[in-house]
Amino acid sequence: MSSTPLRPPGALPERDFLATCIRCGKCAQSCPYGAIRIAGLLDGLEVMGTPVIRPRKVPCYLCMRCPPVCPSGALKRRLQKKEDVRMGIAVIDTKTCLAWQGTICRSCYDDCPILNEAITMDDKLQPVVHKDKCTGCGICENVCPADPAAIVVQPGEKA
Amino acid sequence: MTRKTVRKIVQLSSIGLLFLVPFLNRKGITAVTGTLYSLAVGPVWLTDPVIGVQTVLTTMRLDATLLLSLLIPGGLALVLGRVFCSWVCPQNTLSELFDAIARRIGIRRIFTLPFTPVLRYTVLILVLLASLAMRFPVVSLLSAPGIISIQAANLVYEATVGLELGLILVIAVLELFIVRRVWCNHLCPVGGFLGLLRSRSTMKVVLSEDASRACGRCRVCSDACGLGLDPMEGRVYPFCHNCGDCIAACEGVKGSENPLQFRFRA
Repeated sequence: MSSTPLRPPGALPERDFLATCIRCGKCAQSCPYGAIRIAGLLDGLEVMGTPVIRPRKVPCYLCMRCPPVCPSGALKRRLQKKEDVRMGIAVIDTKTCLAWQGTICRSCYDDCPILNEAITMDDKLQPVVHKDKCTGCGICENVCPADPAAIVVQPGEKA
Repeated sequence: MTRKTVRKIVQLSSIGLLFLVPFLNRKGITAVTGTLYSLAVGPVWLTDPVIGVQTVLTTMRLDATLLLSLLIPGGLALVLGRVFCSWVCPQNTLSELFDAIARRIGIRRIFTLPFTPVLRYTVLILVLLASLAMRFPVVSLLSAPGIISIQAANLVYEATVGLELGLILVIAVLELFIVRRVWCNHLCPVGGFLGLLRSRSTMKVVLSEDASRACGRCRVCSDACGLGLDPMEGRVYPFCHNCGDCIAACEGVKGSENPLQFRFRA
């Protein structure tokens, strides 16, 4: 895992997260979608045992069951509203995005859980991400028909 | 049913639960969740005490929820001793298996270590200091029961296990060929810390002889001890994890007039 991995909702900033997470795996067990995987030794000793989300496989559906189960507070337990989640920010590669290249496509717009707020369609029917609303759940990345995905979540809170 | 049989059943059930709990969790039954790092049984949270101490050191913060979850496991150790190790820990169950295999096929270990707690406390202090210095949960990565339970869940969820199980393989080689029961006796930081949680009235194995309970020096107790301790000698703490096998063996010889017993006061 070269860059910072995508963490579950409510995760502390990466450095604090790595220090606080006790690698217990409870968040992964609480996830009804199997979106939270436990990183292994092959992902690196530093992230081994920590929860990661790989949206292209299974994105986070913002059910909000994992933050309250965290025993160490590596996930902020009080986080309840999905609108408040900031796992990362989706970034569109306009060179590969079908809509930006002239094909009619609004998969990411349609499936975004913060509907018509985090992703809107501009007057040329091209999707645009709004950083102040995007939760970084990765549903857009998951449903993007381009391969590789033309919309990808950049992990981390960049407020 | 003897105490030893009951203990074996509890040990094997504990291992079964390591697979059953993640399976039920994914089916939506979440009354019990977690691993041997931290468990939730309904609203009651239980966290491995040494993991709690580690997290205080890595975060330099006192998280009330985390600290509360240490009370029951810590209290259990204070009252009953390290019964987590002897009755629940899957690594102890495996180590007992390794020892039985070594005994069966007659493997002679290269070294024997004296029963002084110097090594176990050195290891414990070093891993906690390393956690503090690196702001990194070193103890979590060295918790054999934690790793086994995480990998059991991994097997249920993804039908694979990770290379982290290499630690268990290293322990197997160490215990089969180098030093008998070295992990539980001298290296494990989980048991090392649980062993610190003792008071004068923590349950312990005591040889209490009187007119009606005379010890015949038959040594069945030391033969029965899976850790290689000598209960007749006393001074078996902090190594003894109160499994009760020596007491069961003593009962086998002396019946109800066994001099070897669990006591809360010496």
